[in-house]
Amino acid sequence: MNPWRVTLRVIAILLILFILIGPLVGVVLWSFAERWYWPSPIPQDFGLRFWKQVFSQGRVLDSILLSLTIAIITVGFSLALAIPAAYGFARYRIPLERILLVLFLMPQAFPQLPIFINLASTFSKIGLGGNMWGIILAHTMASLVFSVWIVTATFKAIPVELEQVARNLGASRFRTFLTITLPLAVPGLIASSIFVFLWSMGEFTAAFFIGAPFIQTATVLMYTASMGYNLQIASAIAILLIIPSIIFMVIIERYLKAEYIAGLGG
Amino acid sequence: MGIPSYLPGWDPHLLGNIRGDSMDEREKSTVGFLLILPALTILAVLYIYPLVRSIAVSFTTDEGVLTFANYKKVFDLYLKDILYTLFITAITVGITFVISIIISSYLRFKEWKFLDYMYRLPLFIPFLIVGHAMRIFLAPHGTLNSLLTRLLGMKELPGLSGSWVGLVITFVWVMTPFSTLIILGAFRALDDSYIEAAINLGSSKWKVIKDIMIPLTRPSIMVALVLTFVRTISSLTIPLMVGPNKPNMITVDMMFRVNYFRDWGVANALGVISYLIVLGLAVYYLKFMMAERGGLKA
Repeated sequence: MNPWRVTLRVIAILLILFILIGPLVGVVLWSFAERWYWPSPIPQDFGLRFWKQVFSQGRVLDSILLSLTIAIITVGFSLALAIPAAYGFARYRIPLERILLVLFLMPQAFPQLPIFINLASTFSKIGLGGNMWGIILAHTMASLVFSVWIVTATFKAIPVELEQVARNLGASRFRTFLTITLPLAVPGLIASSIFVFLWSMGEFTAAFFIGAPFIQTATVLMYTASMGYNLQIASAIAILLIIPSIIFMVIIERYLKAEYIAGLGG
Repeated sequence: MGIPSYLPGWDPHLLGNIRGDSMDEREKSTVGFLLILPALTILAVLYIYPLVRSIAVSFTTDEGVLTFANYKKVFDLYLKDILYTLFITAITVGITFVISIIISSYLRFKEWKFLDYMYRLPLFIPFLIVGHAMRIFLAPHGTLNSLLTRLLGMKELPGLSGSWVGLVITFVWVMTPFSTLIILGAFRALDDSYIEAAINLGSSKWKVIKDIMIPLTRPSIMVALVLTFVRTISSLTIPLMVGPNKPNMITVDMMFRVNYFRDWGVANALGVISYLIVLGLAVYYLKFMMAERGGLKA
């Protein structure tokens, strides 16, 4: 390669890094900044004070644990609903199958905010407002598309013949499903769980309207901290929420289908 | 029941007496329907009901009387915001389209693992965190200006956070990877022979992209653009954190209507208007898809 091309390549790499990593650098710096006054380009004092706060101060730690609890229960609900539904879609002739499948996509592909506002208003009347379970229900509904779509595709990819052989050998329908189909579907189940988990952890709107003002998930606390210029705490929570996203993104690269990702981000 | 005749060495007659094959179609679809019923119920109660309720509330007073007052208020107070929302969304879609085409074309012609992985970085970062990061990055004394003032040797530069330019930058940052993922997928699925033939005949790469690759992948490109549009117009957190105080995108107006005024009627009327905008686009998209399919058949 001639030197011009090398220079050009280096400039291109720096530019790409600046565009994609640049916005995140400030977040990392702020989370370690004990003192940072303009015009210094980096904090005057670095330290772990705010990270210690994140892990010791009740409010922050509680919100992170709450988000984790909500996300894990949502994954459970989502799988419990999606596994039978996906099996139905994959193995039975369902009238209006395509329309029904698109219906599951609706919460992610149509304005979401009015739905959550009305859900919050209904929930508050029946005692689900300011309540973890209200948020879990909303998250389960909105993330069904990830689990139903991914698990349906997984079941469809498992040859029917495997099930038919087991049935021929005398296994019951249920036993066949439990011992043949389900174990083969595990990778798909894991992928869909990751999508649901990530979506729930990063979700703000439903958590804000349904939980407020009684409970705060990590995202809601991050929002409050960021708007109140408590940038260190907000940045530390932001980093905690980004790390699983990036780890999982590497793990589930081959499940990166545009339809599912459309919903991520909230 | 699909008999797997495509399997090599498989005799379809073997399957004739399988249990379950004797079940007639109607019974089968009942079992299938029962399997999807729980998930459908959740969707009906937690999605369809609030959707219908939002439309109903937008047309009623607090006492439950039919009214158009909410819509009148929306047009009196928020017409400017509706136009502003459309303006921001349209610019975002436009810029996202151009950048996605550039990245996709580059990666279609040349393998560059670094870019191929890097462009996807924003995909999984929650919007709220992107909003927070961009607030810091684009602030008057933020990371971007710290760098630019030193590079350009200037003392002060205006901050971009809290302006529509910053808002568009943030939206483009967040939307581009996703639309690139779709468009690059479509570009890569294109047969090499079309592209090579055109290049051998002396077309420039730019012409190949414009006259061959884009027209052949139009359905995928449309999907990318429609989804970018819907995600932008429905986003609350990004305009809330990065956008200017005034004008606001309609999602932010909805939130303020609920939080500060407890005014569900106007909030829902704004919601219905966002439905209508997206539906209008959906109709256009379906028409386009029909024409595309009809065209292919003819």
